Amino acid sequence: MIRSWRYDDDARRADAAAWVARLEAGDLGDAEATAFDAWLSASPANASAFDTALAVSHDYSAAALPVARELARRRAPSASSAVGRRAFVGVGAMAAAAALAVVIAPELTVARTDTYETAKGEHRTVRLADGSVLDLNGGARLTVTLGRGSREVTLDQGQAVFDVAHDARRPFVVAAGDRTVRVVGTQFDVRRLDGKLSVTVARGAVEVRPTDGAEGRSYRLRPGQRLEHREGQTTTTVAAADPAEVLAWRAGRLVYRGQPLSEVVADLNQQFETPIRIEDPALAATPISGVLVLDDQAAVIRRLALLVPVSAVRSGPGVVLRRDGASDR
Amino acid sequence: MSLLADPGAQRPTDPLLEIYLERRENLVRFFAARCGSRATAEDLAQELYLKLATRDPAVTAENPVALIYRIATNVMLDRARGEARSLARDAAWRQVAHASVAGEDVAEEAPADEAAAARQRLRQLVEAVAELPPQMQRAFRLHKLDGKSHADTARAMGISVKSVEKHISAALRSLTARLER
Repeated sequence: MIRSWRYDDDARRADAAAWVARLEAGDLGDAEATAFDAWLSASPANASAFDTALAVSHDYSAAALPVARELARRRAPSASSAVGRRAFVGVGAMAAAAALAVVIAPELTVARTDTYETAKGEHRTVRLADGSVLDLNGGARLTVTLGRGSREVTLDQGQAVFDVAHDARRPFVVAAGDRTVRVVGTQFDVRRLDGKLSVTVARGAVEVRPTDGAEGRSYRLRPGQRLEHREGQTTTTVAAADPAEVLAWRAGRLVYRGQPLSEVVADLNQQFETPIRIEDPALAATPISGVLVLDDQAAVIRRLALLVPVSAVRSGPGVVLRRDGASDR
Repeated sequence: MSLLADPGAQRPTDPLLEIYLERRENLVRFFAARCGSRATAEDLAQELYLKLATRDPAVTAENPVALIYRIATNVMLDRARGEARSLARDAAWRQVAHASVAGEDVAEEAPADEAAAARQRLRQLVEAVAELPPQMQRAFRLHKLDGKSHADTARAMGISVKSVEKHISAALRSLTARLER
């Protein structure tokens, strides 16, 4: 009995590995796709064996470089350090370039303030002299001052992802209304729209504290945490969030998990010229979960209607969202 | 429109949508294996749903399951084409994040216990590969670790593409057996 169970388990593992290898190799034909789907559906154990094999495969993809390096080192102890060193050059050069920029920049230039602005729907990547990279979403405006002792950004409005070059001696500070975000080296997203601030950390750690004179306490955020705050209030909430989802706007997608429709509309209004309004407060508060692909406004509104039963009505210069089947039907 | 607006409340009448909803988990697995990321897979499954929901329901197929997988493949290829630029940027970002995990500023990235766990996992991954039979190991290293295609791996080893696929699949099978807890 035990023997036959073992056999099944092993055969299942072999099939799972074969399917993962097959899928990773390229497109499936119709017959293969049907067979794959049937095999997965045949038993939950098959699906779970597939997940295990895929997770192992992903682990190796993610760690390909260090695993290859370590295997090479074991094989040939003398040649290995050269390999290891070469593999590090890319990283080192990048760090060195950033460090160099940090050393040179303050001496060549007096701290000066630059303003960056994006039109609605425009995405823009800004590379700062210290090596930090800012991705600006549509309708954003911010100013940057790189000084000797600090790097300061003021986010007037909109959303941006900050990929901050490490420099322990010059903290990177983002002022967003009555809250200030302080970092050393990390990647994070700050969104400031309609008096609502959110900060999501992808890497490293940041600190969000009340700007001089404002009330409230400070928070230290770790990767995968999202802080939300309404300006003028003392309350702040911190919850888990997937940074990949929050940063998805850089690839032309907006991902929501239970955010109110009003927030979705605020985001869309940064992308398109025609303003969208919601007059019904209950509708504005409706939680939205799903993915919106940003191409043209009419298509986006059509897809929004798949997530929540709304229809768009032209009104003056803009568009008003109404609950389907409401009032004027 | 209102029919499509709320798939939860009202059962879709389009048979393709029904099949999709039954097999959503399978399709997410399909995407995850094809594109190498769980998060992207969820995203693509959502996009596939939108594609199916907005297509002409009058068009049917003899083998609707195969049709869905074909549309799924197209959704993936469309995305790869349409967003080659942002994908390249994402990849570059992943590389940087990856490099710094492998590199020296690990302490800033993760607390000590997480870094220790990552090192432990890395050791397990390395040992599992080191125990593979030589040919299988060579194929796995060339393809999976050095990123060569099946065809290039076959050329480097002087064997057929079919044999490479067999080696990779057998390697993954023993690695899974070894690493599984």
